[in-house]
Amino acid sequence: MNARQRFGRAAEEAAAHHLTRTGWRLLGRNVRIGRGELDIVARRGPVLAFIEVKGRRTTTCGAPEDAVGPSKRRQVARLAELWLAARPWALRGVTDVRFDVIAVDAGANPIRVRHLPAAFTLDG
Amino acid sequence: MLGHIASEALSGLDGSAVEVEADVVAAAPAFSIVGLPDAAVQESRERVRAAIVNSRFEFPSRRITVNLAPADLRKEGPSFDLPIALAFLLATGQVRDGCDGRGPLAAVGELGLDGSLRPVSGTLALAESLRRRGVRGLLLPAANAAEASLVEGLEVYPAATLAEAVAHLAAGGGVAAPPADLSALLGAVPALDADLSDIVGQDQVKRALEVAVAGAHNVLMSGPPGAGKTMLARRLPSIMPALTRAEAIEVTRIHSVAGLLPADVPLVTQRPFRAPHHTISSPGLVGGGGTPRPGEVSLGHLGVLFLDEFPEFRLSALEGLRQPLEDGEVTISRRLTSVTFPARIMLVAAMNPCPCGYLGDRGQECSCPAHRVRQYSSRLSGPLLDRIDLRLEVPRVPPRDRRDGGRGEASTVVRARVELARERQLKRLAGTGAYANAHMNARHLRRLCALDADATALLDRAYERLRLSARACDRVVRVAQTIADLEASPTIRSAHLAESLSYRTRSRHER
Repeated sequence: MNARQRFGRAAEEAAAHHLTRTGWRLLGRNVRIGRGELDIVARRGPVLAFIEVKGRRTTTCGAPEDAVGPSKRRQVARLAELWLAARPWALRGVTDVRFDVIAVDAGANPIRVRHLPAAFTLDG
Repeated sequence: MLGHIASEALSGLDGSAVEVEADVVAAAPAFSIVGLPDAAVQESRERVRAAIVNSRFEFPSRRITVNLAPADLRKEGPSFDLPIALAFLLATGQVRDGCDGRGPLAAVGELGLDGSLRPVSGTLALAESLRRRGVRGLLLPAANAAEASLVEGLEVYPAATLAEAVAHLAAGGGVAAPPADLSALLGAVPALDADLSDIVGQDQVKRALEVAVAGAHNVLMSGPPGAGKTMLARRLPSIMPALTRAEAIEVTRIHSVAGLLPADVPLVTQRPFRAPHHTISSPGLVGGGGTPRPGEVSLGHLGVLFLDEFPEFRLSALEGLRQPLEDGEVTISRRLTSVTFPARIMLVAAMNPCPCGYLGDRGQECSCPAHRVRQYSSRLSGPLLDRIDLRLEVPRVPPRDRRDGGRGEASTVVRARVELARERQLKRLAGTGAYANAHMNARHLRRLCALDADATALLDRAYERLRLSARACDRVVRVAQTIADLEASPTIRSAHLAESLSYRTRSRHER
């Protein structure tokens, strides 16, 4: 594992910690589907969320959430569809399905974690 | 969960039913619109999303599919914003349709991001179409309410915001807007500041224009620059008869579809006067575009289309005028649709007799080479000129007239005569669908126009000597009928016919 991967892992760890602290149940982490990967799948009450974690050491290149571009959004959306197709029971009791982004700002001290609900949808 | 509400799409002046359905399910979030939407309808997603959130409703993260049925009809423009938002709110259970058993409501309207409702075009045609199909009522932007309430038998529920529209829907209606008072609207005609008495002299031309306006006949004025052609044409509205109820509705329908109705004016109360520049394109003049829109000939329906510098117009535009001048309507065909707009105009054309403008003028020599003169007048084809009932020469005003010539009658005096003549025509034309002598077809002409013996003989002689075409002959009779109407004569006498013939003889410089 190189330094970048280690940093990514640390960001995901911070995000997962933040989610469990705010009442989310984690259904999956680093779910590999084919070549792609969903960072976190989580459920809280009637809400099912597919969460993309984005970490940044500094904000010189913009805020972390801005790094989730159109192609990344499309990829997450497609992987989510596949994940759901394989687990029809996962929608039981669910009213809302969301694509969230968790921005981990590692440049700040202490590390700042922000959860952005419904950050994007399939149609952009 | 499913929600649906009726709406209406416009194609030309006709509406067709569109059912807006929204399906909202728990799945990966997306908002899609299907049913042949154009770009403006696709963009409706962003307006609807923002309007719903800013009206303090919930926009849950679910898969939203909006269907505009029937799926094979092209949907255009922003007027589906409101029905899409309402169908979505019904589907998510945020409003309950309160219409049970009372007949459904339809909705049209454009949404602003803050949830305000913006006016849409073509409201009158939409409302008429809904009433024909027996729809009970219409939810629409407050700014369109006065126009929609011109339609009798349709409940109109104006809303300034999405929240108000939701309240109406939940109540199954609520308080309907009062029906429009047509007579009051028609009575409030603003005064015109241009008067016929502004023009010195030109008595013969004024008389001819009075005849033309009385019967809505087409006119071509030819004369040197500065003789007053444009001034005369601009004063035609002041002697035109007031619009009747039926006419006002027809004109309003077209102007509303074209988006030309001012926000605070529900009804067009003055005859249109359209004066497009001579660089206008053919579709601009006769109508056209990917989605057919009315051209100047339709915007001038039941009014005047004034074409100054007539030979300078594009040939294609001029020749495109032939069919509407004959039929009183324009049919525009496209791959998926065919649209007909009414186009009963009084064409008023003005031209110089030659490029320099002074051919035949007593004061100034014409400097044009002969071939340029020929070229200039040959731009106007025989078939086009054949459709013009009156051809007038407008000479330069002689110095004596200009100094102390009579100002002539005021517009109100002329207009009173014109209105009486129009009344006689309307009585005679009752049941034919025509409003003026110029609109009579050949069959009406034979049935309704009575020539006395002298006039018949004169017409036969003229037909031989002047080598009139059959169509030209009909036109002479139509104008003669108008002259008879101005004199309150029950039959067309030879004097009327002679005056009519004098208006169509070719001028000296034409071959």
